Amino acid sequence: MPNIVLSIENLSVSIGSRVAIKDLNLEVPNNTILYLLGPNGAGKSTLLRTIIGYPGYNVLTGIIHFENEDVTDKPMEYRVSKGLALAHQIPPKLVGIRVIDLLSTLCKRGGCAINDVAKEMEIEHLLYREFGKGFSGGELKRVEIATLLAQRPRLALVDEPDTGVDVDSIEIVARGLKKLVEFSPHKSIVIVTHTAFIARYIEPDTTCILLNGSIIRCGEAELLYKVMRHGFKGLV
Amino acid sequence: MASKAWFDEVRERAAKALNKPSPYGLDVDISPFLSLAEPKSRGLLDTSKAEEVGVNLKANAMYIQVDQVYFNYLSRIPGVEVLRIEDFIDQRRDEAYEYIWRLVDPATDKYTALAALRGRGGYFIRVKKGAKVEEPIMACLYMSYGGLQAPHNIVIVEDNAEATVYTGCTIAPEVLGLHVGISEFYVGKNARLRFIMVHSWNKVAHVRPRTVVNVDDDGEYISYYVNMSRVKTLQTYPTVHLASNARAFLASILLGLGDADLDVGSGVYIHGDNGSAELISRALARDGSKIIMRAHIVGEGASRGHIDCRGLMLSNKASIQTIPGLTARNPNVMLTHEASIGRLAEDEINYLVSKGFSKDDAISAIVRGFASIEIKEIPDRVKSYIESIEKVISEKAL
Repeated sequence: MPNIVLSIENLSVSIGSRVAIKDLNLEVPNNTILYLLGPNGAGKSTLLRTIIGYPGYNVLTGIIHFENEDVTDKPMEYRVSKGLALAHQIPPKLVGIRVIDLLSTLCKRGGCAINDVAKEMEIEHLLYREFGKGFSGGELKRVEIATLLAQRPRLALVDEPDTGVDVDSIEIVARGLKKLVEFSPHKSIVIVTHTAFIARYIEPDTTCILLNGSIIRCGEAELLYKVMRHGFKGLV
Repeated sequence: MASKAWFDEVRERAAKALNKPSPYGLDVDISPFLSLAEPKSRGLLDTSKAEEVGVNLKANAMYIQVDQVYFNYLSRIPGVEVLRIEDFIDQRRDEAYEYIWRLVDPATDKYTALAALRGRGGYFIRVKKGAKVEEPIMACLYMSYGGLQAPHNIVIVEDNAEATVYTGCTIAPEVLGLHVGISEFYVGKNARLRFIMVHSWNKVAHVRPRTVVNVDDDGEYISYYVNMSRVKTLQTYPTVHLASNARAFLASILLGLGDADLDVGSGVYIHGDNGSAELISRALARDGSKIIMRAHIVGEGASRGHIDCRGLMLSNKASIQTIPGLTARNPNVMLTHEASIGRLAEDEINYLVSKGFSKDDAISAIVRGFASIEIKEIPDRVKSYIESIEKVISEKAL
C-alpha cells in the first residue's frame, strides 16, 4: 500500500472564467486526519470537488494522484468507484427520494446494513422522510455522513461537517468521521472546516491552511489551535 | 314514476347539451361517436393490457368491461356489492335514480351529454355500512375495437365503511376511440374511499372522464390518478365536495409522450367546517407533449388546504403550465399553494454520481423520485401496484 494516499501537484482550477485554485500542492499520507482550514471563499470546497472530479471544475494545470494513479482526467464516476467519496457541505433536496432509498442503494454496493448506519448516526427517525426536506442543519449533516458510511470509501473528503450544527449533532458527526477513518484502509481522512468546532471531538494529525486558492502552510495539530486563537490574518 | 321522469329528464337535458364544449381541453368532434352504429367488437379482453395497468384479474371483487359489449362482474367479499350499472337500474330503479346523474350534470358539456345518450356499462359498487374492506375492488375498462366507450360508475361507501377501488383503463394499440367515463362517488359519514385510477391509452385515443365525489361528515376521499402512456388528448377535472370534518387527498401523475395534449385538474369545495384538502400533481413532459395542471380549492367552511404542482421538463419541445387557484369564502381558512417547473437538476444528478451512481442511474432515480407521491395508509397490495407503475413511468419518461 502506498504511503501517500492522495497527492496533488501544482494544481490550478477554474470555474467558468474564475481561477479558484492556484498552483496548489497537497499530500495526504496514511494514518492522517488532515484538516484543511481557510476562511470563506478560500477555495476549500472547490478543491474537494476538483479532487472527486465534479463537472464544471476545470483543471488548468497540475496532477491529482489517488493511490498512485493519475486520476486528473478521470470522470467522477470512476474516481468514486476507486474509493474516493465526498460529504457535501449542503446536499441538495431530492424530491421523492427517501433517505432509506438512497442508503439501501449504497448499502447494496458497500455491503452494509441500513439499520446499523442509521443507528450510528441516529437518523432512524429520518429514514422514511424525503431526502433533505425539512431537515435541521444537524440532521442534514448526520444523513450526509451516513451516506459515506454506507459507501465505505477508501478516502473520505468531508466538507464543513460542523457548519450549522448543534453541539449534540457535532458529537454524532465526529463519531461518524472516526468510523470513516476506521473503514479507510489508509486510516486517513480529509476534513474541511472554517470554524474547526469539529476538532474538539476528532483531533487533527496535520493541519493545512488554504488562502486565496493556495495552500500557504501545513503543520501539526498546533497550527489548528493557533488559527482558532488568532484567526487566519496572522498567518499571511 | 319519479325514476322514469328523472331518466327522461336526463336524456332531454343531455340532448340539449350536445354542442356544448368543455371549458378546458382540446375540443373533440363527437359527431362520429354519436351517429356511429355499435362497433362490431367481439368483446375480447387482452389480459396482458389489463395487467399492464395493474388490474388483478383474480380479485375477489371486480368489474370488467370491454368496449360497450362485454361485461363481467362478481363480488365474493362480504359487505361489497358489484353490479353493472344497467343491472342496478333494472333491479332497483327507484334506488338508482337517487344516485345516477345526481352529482355529474348530464348537461355539463357535450361529453357528459354523449355519455348520457350513448353510454353503456360502468360499475355500481356499494360497500355496506361499517364494512372495512382491505382487498382492493378491481375494475378494468378496456377498449378493443374503438369508437365510444362511456361507462357510468357509481361507488357508494356507506357510513363507517372503508374500501379501495382500483380502476385500470386501457386500449388496444392503434384503435381510435373516445372514452368518457362518468363517475359519481358517495362517501358516507366517517367512511373512507381510496380510489386509484391508472390510464394507459394509445396515441390516437381521446379521453374525457367526468368525476364528482361527495364526502359526508368525517369522511375521507383519497385519489391517486396516473396517466402512464401515450394519448392523443386527455381532459379531466374531478370535483370533490367535503362536508364537516371531511378530508380529501388527490394525487395525479401525468406523463406526456409524443404530441399528447393533457389538461388535468381537480377541484375541492370544502363546504363544512374543519375540512381539509391536499392536491398534489406531478407532470413529466417528454417529446412535444403539452400538459396543463389545474388545481383549485374553495374554502367555504373553516378549513385548511394545500396545492402542490410540480412539472419536470424532459424535452425542448414540450410545455407545462400550472394553474393553481385558491378561493376563501370564510375568514377561518388557511389555503396555500406551491408550484414549480424545471428540468432535471444537474446538482442532484452530480450529487448522486458523487455517491456512486452512474449518470443514467442517477437520472432514473431522480425521475422516479419525482413521479412518486407518498400516499399514507394505503394497503400494501395497492402500494406495490403503484410502485411498479411509478417504475414504468420513470422508464418511459427517459
